[in-house]
Amino acid sequence: MTTTFSQLLSGMVVSVEIFLLTLLFSLPLGLLVAFGRMSKNRILQGFVKVYIAIMRGTPLMLQLIVVYFAPFYVFGVKISQSYRFVAVIIAFSINYAAYFAEIYRAGIESIPIGQYEAAAVLGYSKSQTFFKIIFPQVIKRILPPVTNETITLVKDTSLAFVIAVAEMFTIAKQISAKQASVSALMVAGLFYFVFNYVVAYIMEMFEKKLSYYR
Amino acid sequence: MEENNLLRIEHMKKHFGETAVLHDISLKVDKGEVVSVIGPSGSGKSTLLRCATLLTEMDDGNLIYEGRKAAYSEGGRSVYACKDELKEIKRSFGLVFQNFNLFPHYSVLQNITDAPVSVVGMGREEATAKARELLNMLGLSDKEDAYPCELSGGQQQRVAIARALALEPKLLFFDEPTSALDPELTGEVLAVIRRLAKEHMTMVIVTHEMDFAREVSDRILFIEKGYVIEEGTPDQLFASENPRVREFIGRIRR
Repeated sequence: MTTTFSQLLSGMVVSVEIFLLTLLFSLPLGLLVAFGRMSKNRILQGFVKVYIAIMRGTPLMLQLIVVYFAPFYVFGVKISQSYRFVAVIIAFSINYAAYFAEIYRAGIESIPIGQYEAAAVLGYSKSQTFFKIIFPQVIKRILPPVTNETITLVKDTSLAFVIAVAEMFTIAKQISAKQASVSALMVAGLFYFVFNYVVAYIMEMFEKKLSYYR
Repeated sequence: MEENNLLRIEHMKKHFGETAVLHDISLKVDKGEVVSVIGPSGSGKSTLLRCATLLTEMDDGNLIYEGRKAAYSEGGRSVYACKDELKEIKRSFGLVFQNFNLFPHYSVLQNITDAPVSVVGMGREEATAKARELLNMLGLSDKEDAYPCELSGGQQQRVAIARALALEPKLLFFDEPTSALDPELTGEVLAVIRRLAKEHMTMVIVTHEMDFAREVSDRILFIEKGYVIEEGTPDQLFASENPRVREFIGRIRR
């Protein structure tokens, strides 16, 4: 029983790691992608559009497999054991960056043009205008959709089982098969639920913190 | 003599696609002058202001602040000065928008102090002291910690005026400063502009408030369809023989 528990616990840690690292990389990457998507450079814009279309149009599970096996099938490089986890982080980050990019874009485009004009007349540079005036307002507006994506990410971490990364779901499934009982899966379900509850709570705190203005 | 001109606009032209919005607009503003720009909607008043404040690039013409060329005509096109020069020139003027365009995530005080601190490099304490002085002058001393969403339209517009004044512009543009306000709130904003006029602030005001324009202006420009139809002192303009001017003034004041 204790080994079951400690196994599940180590799975939990891996799931949390996937979650945190994905957010760490995909949130800034998404902003860069959003800039590319809104770029006046047609080639860059077209390239980013295709990238977003692929990321959103194909299953994340398939993307995980592609990222994991690509080094071997495309470049003939032998895949090391440690690459499993790296592949998960790469696949998740580039996938979520695409979704976040569209959220950022919607947020940025929703800021009235008057804000840019006021900043321009006051002499703010382009980057000052974006980081001091526009982006703080964008964050407030995009928090609800970002919360949605973040909650989806918590559950999506379970997809890492497809390349046999020992995260929560992978381990729960193994234990459940060995014990011929669903209890480990129930524990896993509870874990995802509590995890998301915490995520939603934290995001709500951010929203409250930014509710001082309309 | 021309050095007295704080602003010189010469033969400004602007098209949007096929439509010519400004045909040939020239305007000189001297230090201490208050110039009002009136005319029917769609006459090009706002475009004139947007081109003068460098928010929009004009197609042709000269734009000169204090003898410094922001843009000059060359081969039938306006050539703009380099970015650094334009940044310097921008400090000559301020603009008060119809919709205020305050920064909603900044408090009243931050709205006023942020540009002096982060654009001009003024010390925070100095900027704050200056902002408080302006707020005091505009009767908003108790609002420095409020956010724009907590203020009435008239108060927001006064904060916007303070924000523009904090950068000490030589010339202040107003783009229909009371058009977005309820009638009972226009008075407090007009009172501020009136006060600035008394203090000899140089101003160019696009407005629909005829009586106010007549009272406060040294000169009025009547613009229609992208042309300056008439220009003169308020008395000259209000006694104009031009049927278009008479009709417009009559219609607005009725």
